[in-house]
Parts: sequence; structure tokens; C-alpha cells
Amino acid sequence: MEKDTLLLLEKVNQLHLEDAEKETVLTFFAQQEQNAAILETIDTTNTERMVHVLPILTVVREDVAQKLFTRDELQRGAPETMDGYWQVPRVVE
Amino acid sequence: MKNVYLDQMILTTCCPTNAGSKMLESYVSLFNATVVEKLTAAGYEIAGKLPVGEFAIDLVGETCFHGKADASPLRDAMGGLSFDVNGAPRRVAAQNDLVFAKPTYGIVSRFGTIPVACSGECVGVTAKTVADCREILSTIVGKDERDGTMHADDVCQKSVNGCQKSVKRVAVIQMEADDQVRAHLEAAKTEMAANGIEICEIDAGVIGAAYAAWNMLMCAELCNNVSRYDGIKYGYRTKNYKTLDELYTNSRTEAFGLTLKSAILYGSDVLSTKNYMAKYDKALRVRRVVVEAFADIFAKVDAVMLPACSKMSYTEGDSPFVENKFTAPASITGLPAVVIKGVQLMGPAFSDGTLLDLARVIAKEGK
Repeated sequence: MEKDTLLLLEKVNQLHLEDAEKETVLTFFAQQEQNAAILETIDTTNTERMVHVLPILTVVREDVAQKLFTRDELQRGAPETMDGYWQVPRVVE
Repeated sequence: MKNVYLDQMILTTCCPTNAGSKMLESYVSLFNATVVEKLTAAGYEIAGKLPVGEFAIDLVGETCFHGKADASPLRDAMGGLSFDVNGAPRRVAAQNDLVFAKPTYGIVSRFGTIPVACSGECVGVTAKTVADCREILSTIVGKDERDGTMHADDVCQKSVNGCQKSVKRVAVIQMEADDQVRAHLEAAKTEMAANGIEICEIDAGVIGAAYAAWNMLMCAELCNNVSRYDGIKYGYRTKNYKTLDELYTNSRTEAFGLTLKSAILYGSDVLSTKNYMAKYDKALRVRRVVVEAFADIFAKVDAVMLPACSKMSYTEGDSPFVENKFTAPASITGLPAVVIKGVQLMGPAFSDGTLLDLARVIAKEGK
């Protein structure tokens, strides 16, 4: 794992690591690379992927509108609100 | 009064559910998890919440932002519900002489739990005795229309409450563990043999590599699931921001711990265009290989026994991504597991009740 790649992953995942943390994360990646090498030793030729242990079909519900919660209830856990809206920094100058 | 604890991954309206993370430190859900509704409808009292490691992926709760995880309150209650993502409740049970039942995937509703690694996580039961564990598990099993990953109701019920197959043959999967753990395995073997159960030993084979695939799948699913925490709709918001990007990044950076960040970044890497086929796709194929390996084993024996952990207490530097070597086989396959007297039993899908019967033999517990 190159540090540049780690920087890209940080950006994509909206995280920022300090230098000391980067070392820890790179060590973690190195350990997981050893795991990847273990998997390479397992023959999966002609083996299909198993995304889920159950044969799951798409769950389809009736298309009926429901009002489960009020706006006030939904905003109860919001860090900042204003006049019934979620408040965010200005995004248009 | 029957009282049970819930861990901090199970949503309740009565008190905050923080997932062991600063991100959700004061989060109170608008609804109860289905398992909570089932317990209260059956007359159980919720005794309180127990700490978990951040998003339940650590060893035994050591990364909890809100204080060290402690299983001792469970000793004063009938039991507790714990969210098993990466095997932590199984390790806690093994190291504290408690019983833990991880049910077959899809027989207990996950509706109202905080999602981490949806394809393998499940709500399990911790208790002091096998009988209490079975009673609580019997209460929470059953189809829930709000969880799209469940079996039919009769299948769920029969897994725990139906007529159980008697166990005649158990295979011990050979895995490295310290002397204390080995002593627990030997004691369990002795007790099973004394009850006429034939014991054989088998190599771990691909089962020993299940953790490598589970680490990839778990981190990939976790990366997607925790992407919802952005400091906008609910949860922690940084005070240090001017732009929207700074709000997102600083909120997540300040709220998440390093173990979780490592897992998020690794999961993102596994899902990247460059690595998707070599890692994520490979791990999905290995999952099938492991499932088939267990099917071959359960064609010959009724259950398997393996350690739940490599040692009976952890020190700094022990990693949940290595120690899950013992718990990942059940997580990645969705098979049931029961931890009893420091050992772990596994059986075919829907053999939950059978495993509890076997656990009762090992614990020398009457019916």
C-alpha cells in the first residue's frame, strides 16, 4: 500500500489520518495483505460467488405511502436545525 | 421478573444506543428493535444497556468510547442480547464462563440493530445457564416482515423449539490455542464421551482460512454501512468546520476510533476497481468453499467443536482480525454456534436447539 493510495482512500471516505495513525493503518493493511495471500491458496475455480448465505430475493413491499414519523421526531437527533430544516454550511456562494 | 440487558447495538426508545462510538454518543432511536418488542411483549424487563466496542468489531469491547465493556452485570440478570458481528460476544462468553448462542442467520430479526456487516451479523443471547439462554432465544426467534433476510416462521421456530436430533458424533476441529483453552476442550470431550457421544478429530482445512475472507467481507460491508454517518442528519457534528467537506471529514475523523478507521479504509480498498475481483470477489467464492466444507463435515458428524478464542484473556496488541479465526467460520457461513464452558460448538443450519442440548451435556445441566 502506497501512502498516495492511502491518501486517496482517506479522501473517498472523508477521513483524515495523522502521520502516526497512517503507520498503524498501513500495518493493518500489511496484515490483511497476508490474509489475501492465504485466500490465493484456496482453489475457487468453477466456484460461484456467495454474496449471501440465504437465497435472498428482492423484497418488494406494497407501494403505499406511510407517515411513520413527524418532521420534529426525525429532527430530534439532528446536530443543528433551523426552521424545520437540517442546517448545513453554505454550499452556494 | 425476568430481566435482560441489551448491548449498545440494539435500538431502544427508552435510552440512547451509541454503538460504542462517539459518533452516536447521545443518539436515541425513534423505534425499538423487533427483538426488544418481542421480549417486552413476553414480559421481560429491559435491565439496561451494556457497552460494546466501537461498532462491535473489536475483541471484547476494548475500543468502546464510553468506557470498558464489562460482562459482570449479566451475572445479576437472566441474560442479555448481544450483536455478534466479529465474534466479540462469543469471546466474552468463553472468557467469562457464560453461555452464548449465535443463532442460524435469518431466524432472529435484525430490524432495529445498527448495521455493520449485514451478510453475517446477528443478534445472539448471552446467559448464565443453557436453560436461560434457550428460553430467551425461544422468545426472540421468528419471522419479521421488516427484515428481508429471514426464513419462514415455521423454520425459525423449529430451529430452537422443534424436536431436536440427538447428537451421536462430534468432530473437534484442530486449531492452535493455549493450554487453558485446550483444557476446556479436553473437559468438554470427556463430558461428551461420558454421555456416549463419539468424538473424532479433523483438520481445519479451508475453515481455518475463513477469517481471511470474513475480514474482507466484513470491512467492505462496514465501509458502506458507516458511510451514512456524516454529521448532518444525526450523531456527532464537529465544531471545527467552514465548508461542507470539512463538516463531513472532521465529524467522521473526530468521532471514529482508529480500529474502525482502519477497517473502513481497508473495506474501501477491497471494493476499489483495482482490487474488487482479486479480493472482494475472491472472498465471496471462498465463502462458498467454506460453506461446502461444512456441508461435507455435517454429512458425517452432527456437530463440531472448536475454540472460541486462542487464550482466556487478552493483552495489548492482540487483534480482533486475527483472533476471529475461531469465530469467523460461523459468521461467514451463517451457521449456528453456541459457546459453553470456554468452547464453541457449531452445527448445520437450523440445529440451534440441538447445539443447546449438546451444551447442556457439556455444562452438566439438567433439563
